[in-house]
Amino acid sequence: MLQDIALQDIVLQDIALQDIALQDMELDTLKLHLKKFTALLSAALGASSLCAAPVQAQSATPAPDNGTFDVEQLFAGTCGFCHSDGGRAAGKGPQLMNSPRDDDFLHIRIKNGKSGAMPAFGGAFTDAQIDQIIKYIRALKPREG
Amino acid sequence: MNRRWLNSGLVVIGATLIASSALAQSVDTARIESAGQNDWLTYHGSYKSYHYSPLAQINASNVGNLSVAWMHIPGRSTRGLQSMPLVADGVLYYTGSYSRVFALNGATGEVIWSHFPELDEVLIARQTHSPYNRGAALGEGKVFVGTMDGRLLGLDMKSGKVLWETRLIDSQKLTVGFTGAPLYAKGTVIIGAQGGEWPGRGPIFAVDATTGKKKWEFLTVAGTDEAMKTWGSDSWRTGGGGGWMPGTYDSETNTILWGTANPAPLYDWSGADYKTQGARPGDNLYTSSVIGLDIDTGKLKFYHQELPHDAWDFDSAVGEFVMLERDGQKFVVHPNKGGFVFVYDRNLAVKNVWRLVENINFVKDIDPKTGALIGRRDFSAGKVTEPPLCPFIGGGVSWNAGSYNPKTGLYYKIGQEWCMTLDVQKTTPVTAPQVQLNIGADFKMAPPPGGEIYGHLDARDPITGAKKWEVRYPEPPLGSVLSTAGNLVFVPDSRGILHAYDAETGTELWNHNNGTGHQGGIVSYSINGKQYIAVAAGFGGMLADEYAPNFGGVYKSMPRDDGALVVFSLK
Repeated sequence: MLQDIALQDIVLQDIALQDIALQDMELDTLKLHLKKFTALLSAALGASSLCAAPVQAQSATPAPDNGTFDVEQLFAGTCGFCHSDGGRAAGKGPQLMNSPRDDDFLHIRIKNGKSGAMPAFGGAFTDAQIDQIIKYIRALKPREG
Repeated sequence: MNRRWLNSGLVVIGATLIASSALAQSVDTARIESAGQNDWLTYHGSYKSYHYSPLAQINASNVGNLSVAWMHIPGRSTRGLQSMPLVADGVLYYTGSYSRVFALNGATGEVIWSHFPELDEVLIARQTHSPYNRGAALGEGKVFVGTMDGRLLGLDMKSGKVLWETRLIDSQKLTVGFTGAPLYAKGTVIIGAQGGEWPGRGPIFAVDATTGKKKWEFLTVAGTDEAMKTWGSDSWRTGGGGGWMPGTYDSETNTILWGTANPAPLYDWSGADYKTQGARPGDNLYTSSVIGLDIDTGKLKFYHQELPHDAWDFDSAVGEFVMLERDGQKFVVHPNKGGFVFVYDRNLAVKNVWRLVENINFVKDIDPKTGALIGRRDFSAGKVTEPPLCPFIGGGVSWNAGSYNPKTGLYYKIGQEWCMTLDVQKTTPVTAPQVQLNIGADFKMAPPPGGEIYGHLDARDPITGAKKWEVRYPEPPLGSVLSTAGNLVFVPDSRGILHAYDAETGTELWNHNNGTGHQGGIVSYSINGKQYIAVAAGFGGMLADEYAPNFGGVYKSMPRDDGALVVFSLK
């Protein structure tokens, strides 16, 4: 909530900054704007430091806890876009079935992602949910027929 | 002697000043409309969207002498270099990943200015379709570019200084931003947000080019009362849509023509009763549609939904609206991702539909008179293997552009032949951005039934689809096509080869290895009487990343975080 307010403030400041840019740069008004600008700048810096700390928590709504956390659906919705056939085959991302990587590696990769290849899901899933995803990956078998 | 030299020198300086002030005219709507031969002022070349250059200095008889004039390395080309360069008055403008903007001397490659917007790296790390950028727009002395974190920037064309910036979407919440190029017309900058796989309403924005203030916003998901009725069970909340490639402007009707993306989830478990069953019962307007918006108000004037209730992700987001005249009639040609090409009048009423791609089975056909889908293949939850769905999720055509050559009367367009197996899942509705995407199925690339995967460049009549010639490639090329008055067609392919063909016959006349795959733009321009060809090289991203595991070969070691702008001229 606090973050929302801070973000709004920044948006407001953006508008104010735009207004400044649009004004005639006559000397008198320039001085006035400089004062205004300094005030805004310190406000903006304040706001951004507010934003900086809980940056992870700003991510999208976390997935619901265990009861409704269905990893198969998760693959059909998101993961399978890159890990083809529900993780059974390589696509944009590697095949996950029979992955030679250990659990810690998978956990960290899901959480932090890989630049330019895999998004970071640390803000979307809890550690327990990531463990459930790994359990699904370990249980993957070729489709019948 | 000295005096004479001095005098002549002054004359030269004076002439240069006159020439440069004449050259430095502003880019405005009229200038983009007339598309002078020396420049490339807007993403599609001009509002006619021909991707054609009237320059003929480089031509079929001398193209063998084409060689590299200069290169520019943008750096940090995560997911390759996907942008369409622009050229005005001798200066080349282009964008790289992370919305980096460069202004270069078009003759030498010398950097005049660059602008690297500061982006929230934590946000970028969370995004799936990121951080590539597909281009900028020019107008009123400014360069306009969208950012991955939801802003539109207006930069001073001469210095790169930020004149205004406007936040248009809350990317922190929605996780999407802008990757497509904006369109400038009539004092307005139009840009569409990413959409399709996310729970949003796919907004298209218009911003005042002078002030940066938002003028209007059109929601491609349930943007009118009529459209709201086409999303049963409140499914507009799962959303999708968007218009992430630039369309064009028709000055005769004062209309913006734009293509929209698919609804979410991409694959629906509705079965045949999609009007009442499934994840999003109904037609889902205005997704997978072409729409005409009043440029001043953003009001919808007319539309055609190419795929009512798109259950295959074969959307209409391709930005080409090729404007032609034949026998006194005015046409607009728009390729659909499913592999069909739609021909409309200027009010988007269907005049013809023809097949560019051989392997299509999501419908049996599309009625060429009405555009109605015949023999739809609507899936229920479960496996789709016999036959696999054709084309593949990468589409029968990709988002890059073809080229229409008014001299040959032919439309040059890449077709992609590939299919996919699916396991459609009955998923719970995703109404808030959670884990991000909303696909609705597991899937895998597959060869067409009884055949192999390949790509092809077709030279066809744009209205009837009659084929004059075809060139095949072992893997579908993903870059844009350029044709010129020099009787040439250029195709930058996926393996990294830039090909030049005879525009009349398809005979290959020249090629050059750029060292990495192409999936961006190609343009031609002229400075001081010398013609150049500029092409973006650099592979990686949503479709390119499928090439290494599926095709191996050169793709196995091809970088997906590198790129270069390569510019050619005659030796």
